[in-house]
Amino acid sequence: MHIKYWEELKKDTFGKIGLVLFLFFIVIVLIAPFITRDPQVQTALVFEAPSLEHLLGTNDVGQDIWSRLVWGARTSLLVAIGVGMLSTFLGALIGASAALIGGWYEEIAMRIIDAFLVIPTVILLILVAAFIRPSIWLLIVLISFLRWQGGARIIRSQTLSLKESVHISAAKSFGASRFYILFRHIIPDLAPILVVSFIYSARMAVFMEAGLAFIGITDPSVVSWGKMMHHALNFYYLDIWKWWLLPAGMALSALILVFAFLGYSLEKIMDPRLRKSNA
Amino acid sequence: MLKIKDLRVSYGKLKVLKGVNLEIKEGECLGVIGESGTGKTTLALSIMRLVDEDSSASLEGEIFFQEKNLMEMDEEMIRKIRWNSISIVFQNKEDALNPVHTILDQVKEPIMENGGESKKEATEKAIHLLSQVGLASRCIKAYPHQLSEGEKQRSLLAMALANDPEVLILDEPVSSLDTTSKADMITKIKRLSRGYSVLVVTHDISTVAKLTDRVAVLYGGRIVELASTPLLLSNPRHPYTRGLLRSYPNMTTTKDLQGMKGRMQPVEKGCPFYPRCTQVVDVCKRKNPELQKIGERFLACHRGGILPFLKVKNLTKYFDSFRAVDSVCLTLYEGETLGLVGESGAGKTTLAKSIMGLFHSEGEIYLEGEKVGERDKKFYKTVQMIFQNPRESLSHRLNVLEAVREPLDIYKIGSFRQRSQKVEQTLTEVELPSDEEFLDRYPHHLSGGEIQRVVIARALVLDPKLLIADEPTSFLDASIQAKIVRLLLNLQEKRGLGLLFITHDIALARKVSDRLVVMLKGKIVEEGPTPQILSSPSHPYTRNLLRVAPTLT
Repeated sequence: MHIKYWEELKKDTFGKIGLVLFLFFIVIVLIAPFITRDPQVQTALVFEAPSLEHLLGTNDVGQDIWSRLVWGARTSLLVAIGVGMLSTFLGALIGASAALIGGWYEEIAMRIIDAFLVIPTVILLILVAAFIRPSIWLLIVLISFLRWQGGARIIRSQTLSLKESVHISAAKSFGASRFYILFRHIIPDLAPILVVSFIYSARMAVFMEAGLAFIGITDPSVVSWGKMMHHALNFYYLDIWKWWLLPAGMALSALILVFAFLGYSLEKIMDPRLRKSNA
Repeated sequence: MLKIKDLRVSYGKLKVLKGVNLEIKEGECLGVIGESGTGKTTLALSIMRLVDEDSSASLEGEIFFQEKNLMEMDEEMIRKIRWNSISIVFQNKEDALNPVHTILDQVKEPIMENGGESKKEATEKAIHLLSQVGLASRCIKAYPHQLSEGEKQRSLLAMALANDPEVLILDEPVSSLDTTSKADMITKIKRLSRGYSVLVVTHDISTVAKLTDRVAVLYGGRIVELASTPLLLSNPRHPYTRGLLRSYPNMTTTKDLQGMKGRMQPVEKGCPFYPRCTQVVDVCKRKNPELQKIGERFLACHRGGILPFLKVKNLTKYFDSFRAVDSVCLTLYEGETLGLVGESGAGKTTLAKSIMGLFHSEGEIYLEGEKVGERDKKFYKTVQMIFQNPRESLSHRLNVLEAVREPLDIYKIGSFRQRSQKVEQTLTEVELPSDEEFLDRYPHHLSGGEIQRVVIARALVLDPKLLIADEPTSFLDASIQAKIVRLLLNLQEKRGLGLLFITHDIALARKVSDRLVVMLKGKIVEEGPTPQILSSPSHPYTRNLLRVAPTLT
């Protein structure tokens, strides 16, 4: 069944909302240097209320909260996209190769996947992060290495069924090489699954990064929504939570929602049974 | 009795016979078959030395009758032999009978003239002969225009037999008759010609089957195949003979009305049949093949007759310990349909996929005589497969153009434009539109019949010589099935496409197959020409298949 993903995504309400918000985040992040000041610069003006000078006021060390919010979006999106790509790549590499090569290799790969599935990754991540205080790039690698196994399993099973599908046999019967089949049939056929896997990983990564930052075990020099909320909570007795805690929390929720909406919408497109009407 | 050596006849520039060698033994009935225009009648008239009457004709070669060369005789000597020792029943009855004399007079005349009998004796003999050929007594004194075709034919036969000749030549003796008269005439000829040496020249294969002991196939002025009648008709080896037999509607074979590509055309150099042949190699265009003895027959073909295209020897395929295909041997000849029949689970698809190299299997496979190891691009260019479920065998991501072009992409044949052109050409060949709109359609926009045609087009785009069709019509309704099957047979006629036609439906296999293979539990239980298996199945499973085959009663 041929599906025009892009057309379907634009037709779906959730998909539309997700896309618009996603584009909004991307634009904000890209133009950040032009609409903010340096988020790290500390001034004498502490606990300022929102004004034209400081759109969301300042924090306890006189940093501009608006700037920190926008730069925090950069961190979240970078982690989201980084983890999305890396973990999907790992999952595809191990899952697809296990299905295609088979034999002992597949056995070993599957046992490794099983092992990773039973490891409580969140706790492990907290422990490791607490020790090494990862930078943003290291964090991406860490989360990806602990969270590729789910995608790998799905990709493997999809590849297995693809491998046996008649159109691949047909391609073989035209004399197609393994590489041709991999790049012209299997990978393009896996693309929708890879996109979904990417979105799920991205959503999870946003949440993870914020969580680790919230409990204060990531690189302290990185601006992050999690960290903002962590700090803001220390001053809960002041009015400042309205423009410090709340915007950060809402931005985080919004970004997670973006990925949730996109994922949900794509899932619906790929499984026509989930659609309300097939008009 | 009669020996023809290197007989060449031409009318002006037109060469009709290009070196015919034939021998009619004493008491034998020899048939010569071929399409109209191959020189059959010229051959018959040459023996009678009647070709000379045409001033533009030139004859070369030798015709020995009882060790005497007819070609060296003068008209006087010929006249003594003609009608007395060698007589002919002409094809053209109107010209052969004199409209102003009664039948009796016309039969009587040669008896009196040559035999020297008295008028009374001659009349008696003529009446006896005429009644023997089955002419009603009321016709004996009639004039030719008062007689029906059949009656005229009988009169001519009586005339030819009048002087008790040694050699009787029959030129299309029954072709213009209706079936019942034909049958009667054939029995009469058979009875009356006993003891004579007979040459039957006809395009009617059934006449040859009933009358002759040996048959020569004449094409383009040359004999291409010569063998005993039953052998030649049951197992033709020259592509032309096969084509001729396939075209002929009859009650024995079921796959008939299928002919050969093209039409007869004069050939300057090379094998006379090469423009219509589907297994031509270079030498066929350069040199005329000599008639050579191969086994029990004579054959003129550079390739030794119809090629055994695909040979499978002892192919075995295990799934774990289950033997899905068990030492299967089969041979598929060039341009023929081999029907592979059996119930589901018999191992038909496994066999097909093993041949295609999609399953690893034991055993040997030969393609055009060469052993095939690892299936490579060369193999796949010659052998293609249509999979059982055509819809699944197309990727949903590819539109018609991309799907049909895929094999060309893999082989990197031609430029992008050339590939697209080839795709359009192939689509037209399978009777599909090739406009932009259709090329841009995706599989789920196509009907079952269209999908099947797209899949067939994709398999044909590399111009393979062998197509393995796995249940190509099992999920189509009867009317579309009929169209697809006819399409495949047309392609076979045009391209000489060999078909391994896999089906569970013996009624369908019966209409498309030259030969049948019946498979049961991974083994071949019966194999042979389709009509033979249908009329006398030897294995109980085949008998059961035939018993439960679809009927309308």
